[in-house]
Formats: sequence, structure tokens, C-alpha cells
Amino acid sequence: MSNILMRLRRHWRGLELLPAQQQRLEAWQSQPAEDLRRPFAEARYVVVDVESTGLDLQKDRLIAIGAVAVVGGRIDFAQSFEVVLRQDQASSRANILIHGIGGEAQREGQAPAEALLDFLEFLGTSPLVAFHVAFDRTMIVRAMRAYLGLNLKHPWLDLAYVVPELLPQWQHKYRALDDWTGHFGIGNFARHSALADALATAQLLLVALPLAKDKHSEHYHSLQALEQARRWVSGQN
Amino acid sequence: MSGSNSLLTATVEHLSRFAPFDSMAAEDLLWLAQHLSLVYYHNGEVLLAPSEGVSERVLIIKQGRVVGESGEAGAWLELHEGEAFPIGAVLSNRPVVSTFRAQGDVFAYVLGAEDFRRLLERSLPFSRFCTERIANLLDQSQRSLQGVYAASSNERQSLHSPLSSLARRAPVTCLPETMLGEALQTIQAQKISAIVIADEAQHPLGVFSVRDLIGRVILPGLSLTTPIRAVMTPDPMTLPPSAHAFEAALLMAQHGFRHVLMAEEGRVTGVISEKDLFSLQRVGVTQISAAIRSATRLEDLRTFAEDIRQLGHNMLAQGVGSEQLTQIISTLNDLLTQRVITLECGQDCPYRFCWLAFGSEGRLEQTLSTDQDNGLIFILPAGEDLETVRARLLALSERINKALDACGFPLCKGQVMASNPRWCLTLDEWKSTFAHWIDSGDPEALLNASIFFDIRPLFGVDALATELRAWLADYVQAAPRFLHQMAVNALRNRPPLGLIRDFVVTSASGEHPATLDLKLNGTTPFVDAARIFALAIGSSASGTAARLRAAAAPLNIPSVEVEAWISSFFFLQLLRLRRQHEESLAGETLDNHIDPDRLNDLDRRILKESFRQARKLQSRLAMDYQA
Repeated sequence: MSNILMRLRRHWRGLELLPAQQQRLEAWQSQPAEDLRRPFAEARYVVVDVESTGLDLQKDRLIAIGAVAVVGGRIDFAQSFEVVLRQDQASSRANILIHGIGGEAQREGQAPAEALLDFLEFLGTSPLVAFHVAFDRTMIVRAMRAYLGLNLKHPWLDLAYVVPELLPQWQHKYRALDDWTGHFGIGNFARHSALADALATAQLLLVALPLAKDKHSEHYHSLQALEQARRWVSGQN
Repeated sequence: MSGSNSLLTATVEHLSRFAPFDSMAAEDLLWLAQHLSLVYYHNGEVLLAPSEGVSERVLIIKQGRVVGESGEAGAWLELHEGEAFPIGAVLSNRPVVSTFRAQGDVFAYVLGAEDFRRLLERSLPFSRFCTERIANLLDQSQRSLQGVYAASSNERQSLHSPLSSLARRAPVTCLPETMLGEALQTIQAQKISAIVIADEAQHPLGVFSVRDLIGRVILPGLSLTTPIRAVMTPDPMTLPPSAHAFEAALLMAQHGFRHVLMAEEGRVTGVISEKDLFSLQRVGVTQISAAIRSATRLEDLRTFAEDIRQLGHNMLAQGVGSEQLTQIISTLNDLLTQRVITLECGQDCPYRFCWLAFGSEGRLEQTLSTDQDNGLIFILPAGEDLETVRARLLALSERINKALDACGFPLCKGQVMASNPRWCLTLDEWKSTFAHWIDSGDPEALLNASIFFDIRPLFGVDALATELRAWLADYVQAAPRFLHQMAVNALRNRPPLGLIRDFVVTSASGEHPATLDLKLNGTTPFVDAARIFALAIGSSASGTAARLRAAAAPLNIPSVEVEAWISSFFFLQLLRLRRQHEESLAGETLDNHIDPDRLNDLDRRILKESFRQARKLQSRLAMDYQA
């Protein structure tokens, strides 16, 4: 029953896209796929982090997206992205305390379709990077489907698997993003704000790139291979 | 792009904790944040190096530590969170002088050179910060002047050398059964302070140092036939050759040893003494001066002269202002000269004399390239023949001049040296020479006045020089015609400001085509005017800045004006020093010529302003002397 409702709603929302929005979506979709074998120095990656109403992958909704672009091995501040999706209903008090996006800010956020289109345009064809991808990906994919009717199939790389593979001596000691960033003295200007966490993750990526190069891994594709190897070892294939 | 977000806001907040960002307008800071990118450097990675060519970016440290290393000087600079570099190199479109290296994990904001220039135009506080840095870097230089910065960074550097670079000779060893007498003979013969006791395979068993002699041998009344193993310090500490000097220093400090052994695979390969470690640290103001004072051989002084020059380059690279730098160089050169004279004179010099410094040395304004300008006043002992005494002092002076030449102070081409009979005179002879110049006022007299009237006693009976100076002040004040002639002469040398172009440069075909002579056309107008003012008011101040300051009140010159002249003078000195520094790095002969087109806009503006100040100073001179 709820399934049918959801499909209906999606259908409804799909129809809701304005012609201009539909055009933006199609323009984004018509871009050629990215070459994932471009060397780090020439590639653009988008490092992303999201905030949501909770940790339940089924029920909770996407509240905010923060993203920075790593271009040629540098974080380009001009290419930093932050958006709050308008919520009909603010998330719980406990949840607000985590990410700090208050009820009013949630209700005054950007219209979800616009916010997501902005994000897609910021993303372009660049592959995505996150720490603990499963959560960010699920939230983003679901929102894309719900508000844009888009089945987002985009490459993702999970630093939570890549970094331990590059620094095996620490693999048992460190798990969370804070562990790794703490090890490299990477600060975080506002933990649990999507953009701040995206920046910290991106800094971790900068640390990882030369380490990967030392192991003859010189592009996104080979980083994905490292991730796969790690997943296989840890039984999360 | 036009908007902000929490990342940009956080970056603005972070930057505004540091100078000069703390005084910049919010919108300019936001603009800056939007034009930054963030880069990571792993431990030991080079951020910037001279070999990269013209520096294309300014870095601001977000987190971590960066050291600047330069040639032999090693690490001389440590940069921390919030510090921006290399501003000077980017401003002047040149490569960096030092190699900048990450110490640990470093994240740095990067601002491209183009954006850096746009920010200079946008933000006055930012450009003022950068300009002032270039003009005199006073704040930073203050730090280094106190020697704290310079000394500590040098110490850190030197103590980072590997032990293998310190061990000066193969270790002298003996077997444990060697009789004490025999071991002591070896110590005496080899002129060492400690002997290593080792077995046949050179495995170290102990150390015996001369300092142990009293407590362990003489006071207990041991026989010289005692085997050395009975009195040695057993189980000596060893370090591998790759260990750093500071590890040896640490061991010595912790255990009170004066010697640490260097060993490879259990075999002793060297002895490091406390003295070896200490001699490393001599490239610092206090260290150099202490070392010079206690030097007993000319060869050592030669090394110290090299150290002084190295220090000059380091301090320049560090951003020490030209006023402090020239004073420090001159002071150390003084010490060195004094030591050379002491060594050459020997214990019992039968004559009383005063060694004089003239010209830039006399004014305490020596640059990195400087030749000798000296002379001598002597007292003729009663009953002795003047020419005989002079001949002896000339011989002594010649040795001193040659020794100074060997230390890197070239002989004076114009023969202004104490070994020249014209400048090795009694007090009365000096007075009559000066009087003759002042009375005649011919071109040669005016030229001589510009060298010899900047007198400073360096060694011996200072009172002789003081008396000569006082006499000169009185004599000149009574000769207004001579001051007038000096002013006319000084005004012939006009600052090279053009009506159509900014600067008037030398002809395209000369030895230094299309350049400005920073000494002749730059600093000389200031030096000449200051000398005339000082003579006019009877001041005994010897430096250009001190003379100008002393003249302000008596001549009724507003002190703002005087300070502007002084800043301009020091800016020109700084450009000279910088030029000489660059030439020295490139292995070229040092001169004072610069091509103004190769300066960046900012320096060119300051240079132009400095020449304008020289022109103002000259109009003042012209007015005072109706010249």
C-alpha cells in the first residue's frame, strides 16, 4: 500500500517539475560519462556529506548537502557547495541538536527540486567521494528519485575503505572519520555540518592521494579497486 | 560564486585571527576566501623552492609547520598557522630564496599570484602590510635583532647536522691494559682531550678524558703504571654516525659527559666533544663575536669573516631591516678588525696609536660588499725619529691590511689604507691635512672630505680620534665657505628622476647598461647631506640616520621630514643589500646597479618616492647654502 503511495507521489512530483527544471535535469543527464582513469592531477572529484532527519536509511529524510570540489589535488574554495532542503516538517529536537540546522532554517530551505538540481549542476560529471558512502548515497539517491524522478547512477568512492587500505598500520585503531582526521591533525570548523564534514573528508582525500600514488594507484578507478579489495577482506562485498 | 557559505565564513573567521587579515574588511576577506584553494603537503615535502623559478603563488598555513632552508645556513625560519609566504618573492616577481619544507602534515591555503595582486589593489591594510614588509620589515627585524630568533634558529639548524659531519678525525684509542703514563703521553702527543679505550676489534670499553686526571689519578696518588681500565669511565655512550648532533648534546647534558662516541656496528669511528658541538653554533651574532674575541689564528678569523657574510645573507633573507643589518655587519667587522690588529701587533707594541675607520665603515653602514677604508693616528714617542716610527707603523699596517684582505675585505683601490704613508699620520699631521683641504676647497679636497670626515676609532687610543673629530667640527664651523662648496658639490649628484619616464638610467652602452646606481644616485645624496648638516651643527654623530636626527632640531627641520628621509635612505640600502644578496647567490660580482624595470610595481613606487625624498633633502641643502 505504502509502496503504491510512494510511486504515486513520485509520479506526482515528477509532473511537478517546471519546464525549466526539466530542461536542467535533461541537460545534466545528457553529459558524457566521466573518464575515471584520469590522473589525480587532472581530475575533479566532488567530496560530499549530508545531514538528515535521522539515521534510519528507510524513513529519514535528507536535510542538507555539503560538498567541495577537489580539482587537480587541491580543494578549490570557490567550488564549495552547501544547501538546505526545505522540510514541510522540522526534524526532532534531538536531531536538530546534532546538525544544528534549526526548525526555521529547515522550513526556509530551498525547494528540494531546485536544491537537488543545483547540486547536480555543481557535481557535473565528477565522481563522488564520501566517508561511509552507504548513508550519504542512500539519502541522496532517495531524494533524487523522490523529487526529480531521477535514478542517480553515479560513481562513489568510500574513504572509510580506501584509507585503511593505504595505512594498514592504523586499520585496527581507527574507524570513524574523526579518528582519521584526528590522526592527521585535520580540524573541523563545525562537526556535523555537512560542508564542514565534507571539507574534513576532502582533506583526508588530499592526504590519501599521495599515499595512493606511492602504491601505484593513480586515478579514481584504481582507488575504487582498493575499496573493493578492502570490502572483500572485511567481508562486506 | 558571489555568495558565501559556512566553509567560506569559517575560513574568513580562521584567517581573521592573524595579521594582516585581522585588519582587513569583511568583504575583502570573503573575496580572499573565495579565491583560495587548499593543498596538503606530507612531512618533508617541498612547498616552494628557488628552482621553481618566479614564484606563482602565496601560501597561508592553515595547519602545521613549515621551515625555510637556505643553502649552507640550513633551516633559518619557521612558519606557523596563519603566516603567509613568500610575499617578497611574489611581489617582486622573483623565485624564492629559500626552500620551504613541510614539518609534519601541513595544509596550506594557496592564493595565485594574479589574485594576490588583485587583493593588493582591493585591500589597503593588506597592501600596506605587504609594502611595509618590503620597505623595512621592522617588526620582524626587531625580533631578529635581539638575536633570539636568529640564534635559536641557527642553533636548531646546526644541531640537526649528522654526527658524521662533525667528527674531525679518526678516534685515538688504546687497549685497556695500557699503562696510564703511556696513555697520557698519547693524549699529549695527539693534542686530544680524551682517549678511547677499546679492545683489539675497536669495540669501545671506556673513555678517559684529561679532566678525569685530577680526581682519579693525581688526588688518589695513583701510579702512572696503573692500567688505564682502572680509571676510565666504563661503558661509554655511543651513537651511530647518522644520529643528529642534538642527540649527542642531549646525552652530554643528561649524563654530564663531555664526550660521546660515534660507533658503527659496535666499532668506534669517532669522538664528539662538547667543543665540536659548540663550534657548530658559531653562526649567530653572539657566537660569532665570542669566537672572534677568542680567536688566536688568522686562519680562524678568515672563517669567521665568511660567517659574518653568511649571517648577513641569512638575516637579509630573514627580513632584518637594513638599519639593523648594516649595524650588525659593521659591528662584527669591527670586532674582526680589532682581533686582526691585536694578533698582528703582538703582545708588546711599543707605539701608541689609533686605527681609524673611514667611509661606510666609519658611518657603521657597511653592506655585504665592502672594501677597506682605514688610516692611523700615532703618537710620536719623545726622542724618537718621526719617519722611523712611521716606517715601522707602515710595516705593521701593511700586515694588517693584507690580513684584512685575506679575510675578504679587499684592499682599497684608492689606497685609502693605513699602509699608505699619506694616511699614517700623527694627530698634528692629520689636522694640517684636514686644514689644507678645508682652506683650499678644490675638487680633490671635497672628495677626500666625503671619505675622511666620516671617522670612527676602531682600535687603540680612541682619544686621538675623538680629539681629531672635535678639532674638525670646530675648524669646519669656522669655514662656512667650505660647507658651501661641499653643498654645491653634493648637489651635482641629482637623484635620477625623469620628467618623462620614471627614472633616468645609465646609457645603454656603458658597463652597466640602462641601470640605476643605487649607491651613487641613491644613498650618496642622503649620506652627503647628512655629513654637511652634522658638520654645520658640530655634531659628532657618525651614521647618516643619527646625523639627520641630530640636525632636525638645530636646523629647524620638522621631524616627520627627517624620518621620511631616513626611511628612504634605509629603503635604498635595503635594495642595495638585496641586490648584493642576489648577486652573491648567483655567484656574480657585487655591485650597486639595478634595472628599475625589473623591480615590481610596488618597489618601483617606493624607489621613486625615495628619490623624491632625496630631491626634497637636496632642496633643503640648496636653500641653506644658497647653492
